Amino acid sequence: MSQAQTSVGHAEKADIFCKDEARVDWHSKALWLLRQKRDRAAAAIPEWEELRTLGSEIKLHTLTHLPQYLEQFEANCQKNGIIVHWAKDGQEHNRIVHEILSKHQVKKLVKSKSMLTEECHLNPYLESKGIEVIDTDLGERIIQLNKQPPSHIVVPAIHLKKEEVGELFHNKIGTEKGASDPTYLTRSARAHLREHFLTADAGMTGVNMAIAEDGAIVVCTNEGNADMGCNLPKLTLHSMGIDKLIPNNEAASVLLRTLARNAIGQLITTYSSFYHGPKPGGEMHVIIVDNGRSEMLKDKLLAESLKCIRCGGCMNTCPVYRRSGGYSYNYFIPGPIGIAVGSNQDDTNTIPWACTLCGSCTYVCPTKVPLHNIIAYQRRLKAEAGKLPYGKAGYMPMVGKVMSSPTLLNCAMSVARFSLRYLPGSLLKPFAGAWGKYRELPKAPASSFEAWYKKNRSK
Amino acid sequence: MSSKAEILAALKSVALPEHPMPKVEIAPRLDDLIGQYEAGLKACGGTLIRDNALAALQSQVDTLIAEGKQVISRVDAVTGNREVPSDPHELKDINYAVIPGQLGVAENGSIWVTEDLAGIRIAPFICENLMLVLKAEDIVANMHQALAKISLDNTGFGVFIAGPSKTADIEQALVIGAHGACTLNVYLV
Repeated sequence: MSQAQTSVGHAEKADIFCKDEARVDWHSKALWLLRQKRDRAAAAIPEWEELRTLGSEIKLHTLTHLPQYLEQFEANCQKNGIIVHWAKDGQEHNRIVHEILSKHQVKKLVKSKSMLTEECHLNPYLESKGIEVIDTDLGERIIQLNKQPPSHIVVPAIHLKKEEVGELFHNKIGTEKGASDPTYLTRSARAHLREHFLTADAGMTGVNMAIAEDGAIVVCTNEGNADMGCNLPKLTLHSMGIDKLIPNNEAASVLLRTLARNAIGQLITTYSSFYHGPKPGGEMHVIIVDNGRSEMLKDKLLAESLKCIRCGGCMNTCPVYRRSGGYSYNYFIPGPIGIAVGSNQDDTNTIPWACTLCGSCTYVCPTKVPLHNIIAYQRRLKAEAGKLPYGKAGYMPMVGKVMSSPTLLNCAMSVARFSLRYLPGSLLKPFAGAWGKYRELPKAPASSFEAWYKKNRSK
Repeated sequence: MSSKAEILAALKSVALPEHPMPKVEIAPRLDDLIGQYEAGLKACGGTLIRDNALAALQSQVDTLIAEGKQVISRVDAVTGNREVPSDPHELKDINYAVIPGQLGVAENGSIWVTEDLAGIRIAPFICENLMLVLKAEDIVANMHQALAKISLDNTGFGVFIAGPSKTADIEQALVIGAHGACTLNVYLV
């Protein structure tokens, strides 16, 4: 355990977020409100649990037949006049995108939300090549102007207050000083981005679903930014992970019923757009990206994380995410799904512990990704790789030894009960570590559970 | 080896056991489809006009045109004052677009609109206000029925539209009118 710690661990970053208690409370409540809306939307359709099961099974089926569906998707896309590219990793993806854009002398690209392009770090890459990239989802535009990454995958600027957005817009797009009314700010952004839509040379989106049988991609937004971006310029690009594939329209009908309901409690997103070929006189590209996904599929449990449809429901319900914020995770996707898919990228080796294993995320997931099982498994993988975070690396092996020996465990517990009874708290508190920071030490029980059980139950 | 070949080769060792494709056997809720549709549309911020809808639409369009508004109509019975251009950018000053919907979905208030019905893909998005015309008999119960009915074969683009564009990206406050249309009226005929 002498790994270089290049960044700060989850707990330390959460400490920074938690300094402003009022903001933490607000953040937690705002996200819990989404969870409540989700619960109402789910309860309103009696077949909800059936839809979750179907969602899971459709994804499992597709993931176990990916080569067949990928080839079918490509062939059907080509039939429709869509140009299909394959990228092993983020670098290759970015190179392909840049080649297409430079061939068409694109100076300005309007982009709708795509976590995949965040994963590939596309924006900085294109900017370094002299291409102006405009994020067009309102939340994404806010954080782009604020030079921040998203703090949530569905509501990327949830960490900012309206006054902060007002100040930012005043400085960047010339709204009135001190104005913070969300309607006024949204309409100002509409006018500002409308100019960009009308002058862009190309549009780019992520992909919510790719339908193999049709050779079509589905993009879901509430704002209409993907469709404004794609339907004005001649050239459009769409990036998708291999996990976005589904077999047919019937599969889409299931996921379109759960996606928005589970994300924000809406019946469906305002726009669910099926792009099935280039516009007349236009050019449409789809870039299929692996970037580590095929590797995850080689592990039975990690593979299930690829069932995710990126609704963000697991973040909204997570007691740790709500109180530590999206920037405390050392991965661009925060919350439970971020831990599930990003733990091996976390050089502090701390994010698998940003979890109480309460299982709420698994309970709300519309495709039944076993999130808390995967998170527990990520801890095991860290331990097996000798990458337990600082502290845990020292005491966890000892805890393991003590726990696996009844004699040692009984001795240790006797000592603990004795100490709790007779030693002052101030002396004991340091042994409780981070656990004891905001908690009182427990009262010592009269005897061990084992002794109690023998006395009362073993007759 | 090409990247495609490499990716496909890597996918040969998927650890998950093979899983069959499930069948969707969900009974549609068929009672009062129009009432369900109206509730769904209202929930997503749209308005349903049921009484004498086509005449109401034409008279509204006449008034709008008299006020100098720019109206594009793709519904035969309704006359606008603008034509479908070949360059979508020319629609940047469109105030109202009147477009026939192919299918309505009762469970969520959405309407399926295709490229050929819209005349040009940008039309339902770039207009300030959207007016969709829907036949009552074209309302289906849920998304399963809707997606079984639609076909992309003859169109390059189709979209389910549920209400006006909206966002809640600033402090979770719902604002109607983000990048697409700011209002949606559905005329039921």
